[in-house]
Amino acid sequence: MSVASLDTHGADVAVTAGRDREDIVVGGEIVRHRRSSRFIHFAVAATFIVCLLTGLPIWTPFFTWMATLFGGLSFCRWLHPWAGIFFAVSSLVMFVHWAGQMTFEPGEKSWLSPKRLMSYLEYRDDNTDVGKYNPGQKLQFWCAILAAVGLLASGVVMWFPASFPQIVRELSILLHSLTFILFVMLITWHVYLGTAAEPGTFHSMTRGTVTKAWARLHHPKWYRQVMGLEK
Amino acid sequence: MSVHSLEIRRSSASLLGGATGMRALPDVAKYVDTSTCIGCKACEVACQEWNDLAPVATHQVGTYQTLPTLDAGFWNLIRFDEREVDGGLKWLMRKDQCMHCAEPGCLEACPAPGAIVQYANGIVDVNPDNCIGCGYCETGCPFDVPRFSAKTGKMAKCTLCVDRVSVGLEPACIKACPTGCLHFGTKEDMVALGSARVAQLKANGFPQAALYDPQGVGGTGVVTVLGFGDHPEWYGLAANPHVPLGVKLWKNILRPIGLIAIFGALIGTVGHYFTYGKKEYREEA
Amino acid sequence: MASLAATFGRGAMTNGWVDIKNADVVLCMGGNPAENHPCGFKWAIEAKKTRNAKLISVDPRFTRTSAVADLYSPIRAGTDIAYLLGIIRYAIETKRFHEDYVKLHTNAPYVIADKFAFDEGIFSGFDAGKGEYDKTAWAYEGDPKSKSYVVDETLENPRCVFQLLKKHVDRYTPEMVEKICGTPKETFLKVAEVVTSTGNAQRVGTILYALGWTQHSVGVQMIRCGAMLQLLLGNVGRPGGGVNALRGHSNIQGATDMAGTFEILPGYLKTPSAPLQTLKDYLEGATPTTLNKQAWASMNYWQNYPKFMVSLLKSAYGKNATKENDFGYSWLPKVDGNYSWMYIFDDMYRGSSMRAGGKEPGPEGLVTFGMNPVGIGPNSKKMISALAKLKWLVVVENYEIETAIFWKAPKEYGGPETAKIQTEVYQLPASGFAEKDGTFTNSARWLQWKWKALDPPNGSKTDQEILARIFLAVRELYKKEGGPGAENVLNVAWNYTNPAAPDLGEVLKEINGKAITDIPDPKDKTKLIRAAGQQLENFGQLQDDGSTLCGNWLHLGVYTEAGNMAQRRSPADPTGLGMFHQWGFSWPANRRIMYNRASADKDGNPWDPTRVGIKWNGEKWVGDVPDIKPDSKPGEYGAFIMNPEGVGRLFAPALNDGPFPEHYESVEAPVDNVLHPKVTSSPVTKKFSSDKDVYGKKEDFPIVCTTYRLTEHYHYWTQHTKVLTQLQPGFFVEIPDVLAQQKGIANGSKVKVSSARGSIEGVAMVTKRLRPMKVDGKELWQIGFPLHWGFAGLPEHTGPLANFLTPSAMDPNTWTPEFKTFLVKLEKA
Repeated sequence: MSVASLDTHGADVAVTAGRDREDIVVGGEIVRHRRSSRFIHFAVAATFIVCLLTGLPIWTPFFTWMATLFGGLSFCRWLHPWAGIFFAVSSLVMFVHWAGQMTFEPGEKSWLSPKRLMSYLEYRDDNTDVGKYNPGQKLQFWCAILAAVGLLASGVVMWFPASFPQIVRELSILLHSLTFILFVMLITWHVYLGTAAEPGTFHSMTRGTVTKAWARLHHPKWYRQVMGLEK
Repeated sequence: MSVHSLEIRRSSASLLGGATGMRALPDVAKYVDTSTCIGCKACEVACQEWNDLAPVATHQVGTYQTLPTLDAGFWNLIRFDEREVDGGLKWLMRKDQCMHCAEPGCLEACPAPGAIVQYANGIVDVNPDNCIGCGYCETGCPFDVPRFSAKTGKMAKCTLCVDRVSVGLEPACIKACPTGCLHFGTKEDMVALGSARVAQLKANGFPQAALYDPQGVGGTGVVTVLGFGDHPEWYGLAANPHVPLGVKLWKNILRPIGLIAIFGALIGTVGHYFTYGKKEYREEA
Repeated sequence: MASLAATFGRGAMTNGWVDIKNADVVLCMGGNPAENHPCGFKWAIEAKKTRNAKLISVDPRFTRTSAVADLYSPIRAGTDIAYLLGIIRYAIETKRFHEDYVKLHTNAPYVIADKFAFDEGIFSGFDAGKGEYDKTAWAYEGDPKSKSYVVDETLENPRCVFQLLKKHVDRYTPEMVEKICGTPKETFLKVAEVVTSTGNAQRVGTILYALGWTQHSVGVQMIRCGAMLQLLLGNVGRPGGGVNALRGHSNIQGATDMAGTFEILPGYLKTPSAPLQTLKDYLEGATPTTLNKQAWASMNYWQNYPKFMVSLLKSAYGKNATKENDFGYSWLPKVDGNYSWMYIFDDMYRGSSMRAGGKEPGPEGLVTFGMNPVGIGPNSKKMISALAKLKWLVVVENYEIETAIFWKAPKEYGGPETAKIQTEVYQLPASGFAEKDGTFTNSARWLQWKWKALDPPNGSKTDQEILARIFLAVRELYKKEGGPGAENVLNVAWNYTNPAAPDLGEVLKEINGKAITDIPDPKDKTKLIRAAGQQLENFGQLQDDGSTLCGNWLHLGVYTEAGNMAQRRSPADPTGLGMFHQWGFSWPANRRIMYNRASADKDGNPWDPTRVGIKWNGEKWVGDVPDIKPDSKPGEYGAFIMNPEGVGRLFAPALNDGPFPEHYESVEAPVDNVLHPKVTSSPVTKKFSSDKDVYGKKEDFPIVCTTYRLTEHYHYWTQHTKVLTQLQPGFFVEIPDVLAQQKGIANGSKVKVSSARGSIEGVAMVTKRLRPMKVDGKELWQIGFPLHWGFAGLPEHTGPLANFLTPSAMDPNTWTPEFKTFLVKLEKA
């Protein structure tokens, strides 16, 4: 593990550099996510978690105990739609922020096969062409955006059921449920991969930096670009 | 309305059913005979007064009907319908209110534990202590009955005057009815009364008369005599009401599957970690 | 009620609410009982449920009653006479009438003197100058030798009532009914068939009517038609039968019983008129005599008139009333003309009165007590302008009603500017019905005591306290200052424990009456009928020598030594017919079905053994309280004891507009009378002639309009009650959908309705319940609106007064205005 570079005043050079810039090398580290990226990520994450914790006890009495975290089910019921609005707004910002970088490049489609995904999860993938975001991450991004749209649309109907016809209400309940189930599964893996499974990754969302070794391992092409080894 | 003297048969969002009852009580029911209802609205006023509901804002828009539909502050509404049948005019009137289904869609849909209960006598009631005002019951109800009250943030609907019934009185609407088109008693008695009236109607110019006690929701706590039993929709009643498919799918299929899936995903990560461990980079030499 | 009195002898609902359940056919016509009498209407429903009774609704609109009827028949407003005479014709033609009954209990066999004639819409005896009939032209043929009526029991004499009736109704064929009433012939025939299915001993039918018959310029004759039809079908006096006048207010029957109108004293005794200056003259004129010496001689119960009148005077003047001073008869005011309130307002508006012969100023003050003339009078503009001529006005009411604020009526009402009105208005806050005890006398003549539920708010006072305090103050003024007629007031007996607020129980006791001195039994002088001071038990105990006092002979029996009978609440009903003799008290004599002698045949056996009114058990009449001398053998007396001839009158020489009803158009006639175009409207109907009394022509106002009430509201009262205004929140005009389409009027949009008196605006209620009508081959439209709005009341409930458009045209017998048929035009607003 490389040590953070400090200047003469003891300031963390990588972090200060990462306020506004990313994809730059600072000492032994590479700034992967500038400050705004990290804020946006955690805004989405935090609002989602509030939604999750207030939504789950409404979803099933199995989780009624969670409502205690917010002082009861009634407050969950009050907070959930508002948290949902913030989640949706954060997701929108995230979309604007990252959409440009999340387009699939030619050849990346082959990633989307289960076989390829499995080999990725089995750490057997040796693709040296992985840029800043691998296609799995891009997929994750688009799924999140899609989920935000789905949750928002169905959530609004469920918030104001009297304004919508019965069939729309029923579909919304189903859609909200389905979307959130899939999304929670996705997020579970997202968190797992970003923490336990791939050490060093979480760092990119806290300090904003990764080590060169991490970059070379996970995103060889991006590493080469940042290091100036490849145009 | 929460009534502690009545035992509970079913309670919303309870994992194990929520029944508290040792005693068995006979099911109660209202009897509504649309063929002798004159639409006088005495039941509307009685409901407002007994339940201390403030008068609602209404406007004359070209109908005798007080409101277009039920309201959080108006639980009992006579629906009026002018209709030409076989060249003759009919002015159909039906008292609309909570039907107190044996299998209540509202209770089925309700996510708040104990917010909707079915008492041992079959009355389906919203308990405002527990209600979170989410409005799922609105979607769950095949009769479009529960309403969200902006004033309280809770759902509201006819309680079948459970506070009166639990002390041996008939509901306020029944007491106020001047023509006797409303009755109250055990479900069995009301069905008998209704069947007799239907038989009489059939013999007196209404061959299509029927008793509306839809089995799709296990029967209702309001049995309604319809002169035109083959057209319940003329009275604003669903032809074949049932707990909405969406609610059933959500609750009985999607929810258990979802729970399994979410836990599955969690367990999957653990399994993955146990199997493959971390993806660690090699320190540069 | 005048027509029922003229036909049967008493002007009230013949049977009772509960008794409707005994009917096989219930004809609702001239009334919408489901709307206006929902509680009583339960018994019609009961008849449907328990007897499969057929409910018929004949109405210009498809109403709430029609909604639960087995048979609905449309009719053009105001043409009920043609319709009913059509049914009578149908009954006679098809012999679907109760012949035995008709021969026994009606004047069908009576021969009419040859002065009676009918030609081109006019009966004999018409004085075109006065616009009145001389009723002596319609007298019975009398046999001078035997001093009896001439009677033909075969009904074949061409001058007998039956033959005259047959001839009179001959013109009212089903085709003619369709032409006049706009009712399809098939519908009419179906109704006629069901109604006449009761023209026999086995079946009984009832008629329920209300203001839909009363409020026409020919209203009394409409009711007469119903009464005649029921006599013909043999339905009067029988359980499940009768002509049932449904009173719109909880105590309107009681008010009428207690002299609600100017021409009567309590108990329907006549108000003395100026020429009758002595009691003797008065009693001679008022006490009828009978010619009848037939088998069914009349009891002619009114022959006891002097006893009723003297006892009334004794109750009014107490010890001051002595035989020597005619029991104070001279202190009673004598009328010199028509003092019905419509006339009073006419005088008020014109500022002069000519009724006493010479020209006198109009009234300068007015006390309205529980009455809202601005709301209930026709031609509201005139009402408001009339009140503005007063110096003072006292309004006794529990709400601030239109009359109390007439001076701030909206401009369109055409009254003078507020600043120019000099009338000083006092409102005395009165208590509501739940804030005082006392009795309600319902339609069925049942006096039922009610107990006060709560105290009147904010210093409001009970009616009796307001009246008593005014009386005591006026008496004090007379004591101090004297003045003309002082003795009229100073001699009044006022012996209440609390003179300023008499207890109503005490008043009821006085109404019932008591013995002033011992009353010996005429059969056995050693015995007393009543001892001095005892309450009387029945009106047979009344005396004309001043030894009894009684405030209203008809109510006698309501408060006996046994206590207040109006307070009885026993649900026991041994008759099984819903008579409930131990519940409250029903005048007369706690009798539940009037004329019940007619429920039995000549031998005293009931026509229908399952529905016994009364029957003769060999010694006396049993069942209901018999409406005949209880021990009189069958055949001794006729069934209609109040009529001098002892029978019910198919021919009634008593009304001001003819012995038989005849179809006349309303005063504002939408078409010419097809029977006699020269006499379109009734020749004797009453109108006024001030500049505000204008009447429209069919050319300018082609649409027939009618007014009515809603079940959600009570007259002009509930516009102050939020829980009820929410149910019917705004004034509306019901318009046939086809007409609305023609005029491009959308449901819920604003429309303007105009009559010759003015215009009002309201929300259009476009409906199929009003239909286009074909009248005499031409298309005719009817619209209507309810009357519960005005410029008083909750702000969100104010709206136009329906009577802004109604005409001041009146029935010549009762001076009831024609609210139910007038002409308008309709536009988009």
